[in-house]
Amino acid sequence: MNDLATYAFTSIGLFFFVAGSVGFLRFPDVFSRLHALTKADNLGLGFIALGIAFQAESWRLVALLFLIWGLMLLAAGTMSQLIARDALRERDGR
Amino acid sequence: MDRQAWTTLFHRLLFTSAVWIVLSGTDAKALAVGAFAVPAATWLSLRLLPGRDRLVLWRFLRHFPSFVGGSLQGGVDVARRAISPGMPLLPGWVEVPVRLPDGGRVALGAELSLMPGTLAAGVRGDRLLVHLLDTDAGFENAIPREEAAIAAMILGTGKEVGP
Repeated sequence: MNDLATYAFTSIGLFFFVAGSVGFLRFPDVFSRLHALTKADNLGLGFIALGIAFQAESWRLVALLFLIWGLMLLAAGTMSQLIARDALRERDGR
Repeated sequence: MDRQAWTTLFHRLLFTSAVWIVLSGTDAKALAVGAFAVPAATWLSLRLLPGRDRLVLWRFLRHFPSFVGGSLQGGVDVARRAISPGMPLLPGWVEVPVRLPDGGRVALGAELSLMPGTLAAGVRGDRLLVHLLDTDAGFENAIPREEAAIAAMILGTGKEVGP
């Protein structure tokens, strides 16, 4: 049962990582690409963490997985703003 | 130190201790290193983010389900656009006036980057520059709602910050 949940959730996670990468390659400009990376990868890692959590031997490891996810969210949210701000400056020649 | 400062210190200590235990477990060795790392991290956290903008924890937790719902929608939406052969995109910009302190604005920007179709790209004056993946989808309607939620978290009152 736990293994089944792991397979299901990590597959969903992988799907979102693939979709994010496809968007990163196909989308026309840096801003649209940032949408794909931040939003899809956030879900990708979230679902993979959820899937692996079913294999964890203690609650500490479950908390650790979600701490990692949370830190990734913070990093993604911060980095995407910085890259977008810089790309906008460059585009406007400021 | 007044009572407020002690409460802030206590909350930060609880938080950094919890993070340390999650990171490194409860071995004697891990706790010994933690005895130095936790006070140092608490000191650093109070230096970098003094307790004056009080984060109301239960409001943060109350916002969590709608955050998860929004980021699910955001991820599904962007995945659908990326994979569908026609790649339906209509990128554009909106400028939104935001009445939040600096830290709150960054938090709002980070949150918007994970919500459907919006991406923050810095500020111009007191207006937040937001990139939209599809200008016809009404993604920008979520911005005042998220702003109010963030305002409620850091100020404890969301009512005076309207759309």
